[in-house]
Amino acid sequence: MSEFAVSDPKTAERAAELEKEQSYIRRAKVDRMFAFLLIVQWIACIIAAIVISPYAWEGKERVLHMHVWVAILGGAGITILPVMLAFLRPGTKLTRHVIAASQMLFSALLIHLTGGRIETHFHVFGSLAFLAFYLDWQVIVTATVVVAADHFLRGIFWPESVYGVSNPEWWRFLEHAGWVAFEDVFLIWSCIFGQREMANAAARQAAIEHLSEQEQLKTAALEMAMAEMGVTTAPG
Amino acid sequence: MRTRSVIVTAAIVTASIVWIGTVGAAYRAIRRFETTPGRAAVAPRNWPADSTLVRNQGAPTLVMLVHPQCSCTRASLAELQAVIENSPRSLRTYVVVYRPSQAKPGWEQTDVYTAAMRLRGARVIVDEEGREAKRFGTFTSGQTFLYDAQGALRFEGGITMLRGHAGLNSGRVDVIRIANGESGKGSHPVFGCSIVARSERR
Repeated sequence: MSEFAVSDPKTAERAAELEKEQSYIRRAKVDRMFAFLLIVQWIACIIAAIVISPYAWEGKERVLHMHVWVAILGGAGITILPVMLAFLRPGTKLTRHVIAASQMLFSALLIHLTGGRIETHFHVFGSLAFLAFYLDWQVIVTATVVVAADHFLRGIFWPESVYGVSNPEWWRFLEHAGWVAFEDVFLIWSCIFGQREMANAAARQAAIEHLSEQEQLKTAALEMAMAEMGVTTAPG
Repeated sequence: MRTRSVIVTAAIVTASIVWIGTVGAAYRAIRRFETTPGRAAVAPRNWPADSTLVRNQGAPTLVMLVHPQCSCTRASLAELQAVIENSPRSLRTYVVVYRPSQAKPGWEQTDVYTAAMRLRGARVIVDEEGREAKRFGTFTSGQTFLYDAQGALRFEGGITMLRGHAGLNSGRVDVIRIANGESGKGSHPVFGCSIVARSERR
C-alpha cells in the first residue's frame, strides 16, 4: 500500500500498526459524524413531512398524513441500527457499510416525502461524497448497490415513482445508476489515493521513530563508553 | 464484561431486525398509499343542468374539483398547468375549490388555492358545502372532467400518475388530445383526498 520504502521488518510492522490506528481513529470519527447526521436527517424528514403534507383529508375531517407516520417510524427504524453501531462498534467495517446503506435509504425516503422532486435526488450525490471521508472504496460500492437496487426494484414493481413513466425500458435503472457510477469513479480513486497517503505518512512516522530510537541507542552507548573512560561531558 | 458484550450483541441484532423490517414496511406502506386511487366519480354523461358553472359554447370545458387542504392536489394542479399550456386558448377551465359548512373564514385560502389562482385563464370557484362536487358526482380531489362543445362528457378521471406525483401520464395526454379536437374518450384513475366526507353525503 505504502510508496514509502521501509526495508526494516520491525519498522514495516510499526508502520502497519500506525496506519491501522490512524484509520481506526479517522473512521470512528466519521462514524460519529454520520450518527449525528442521521439523527438530523430523521428530524428533517419529520419536519418536511409536517410542512409539506401534514394531514390527509376527507371533507372537513382530517387525519395525520401517512407521510408523517413514515417519517417518524420509518426514519426511526432506518436510524436506530447505524447510530447504535457508531457508538457500540465504532471504526468497524460492518458499521460503515450499514451507515452507507442507511444514508442511501434516507435519500429514498426524502425523495418520497418531497413527492419525487428531482432536486431531492442531489441528496444521493452529496451522501456519496460524505461517505468518501471513510477512505474505504468498498463503502462507496455498498451505497451504489443500495441506490441501484432501489431503482431496479421500484422500476419493476412501481416504475412511475422513479422514472415518471409507467412503462420504462428494462435497462432504465442502469442509466440512473450510471450517473452515480460517474461520481463513484472519482470518489473511489480519491479513497484509494487517500488511503495510500495515510500509509505513506504512517511509514514516514515509523521510519522517524526508528531513527530516533537508533539515535537514542547511539547516544546511550556513547555516554556509557565515555563514562568508562572517565570522561564527563560539560553541560551546555 | 462478558455480560455487557452479550447485551450489546443482542441490542445490535434487535436493531438489525427492526432496520430490515422498517425498510420493507415503509416501502410497502408508501407503495400502497401512492398507487391506490381514490373513489372514481359517478359523472353525468352530459353537462349537469343544475350546475352554476357556465359551459363553454362552441369549445370544450374542463372542470377540476379540488380539496384545498389536500397536499397531493398540488401535483394535479401542476399537471393542469401543463394541460392548459398545451390546449387551445378557447378551452374554458374551472377549478372548483371545496369549502365545508361552518368552516372558518379563509379555510380554503391555501397554497392549493393560490396555485389554482395562478393558472392562466382558469376560473376559480369556491364550492360551498361541495354542492358542485355532488352535481358532478365527485368523491376525490383532482377529479377532472372534459366536456366537449356539445356538452358531452369526453374525459373523466385524474391527471397525475400517482398520488402526489406529477409527471407525464396517460390522463394528461388524453385531456390534451381531446381538447385539441381529437375524437374518442378517455379516463384515468384519480389520486387524492376525499372531497366530501361520508357524513356530509347523507
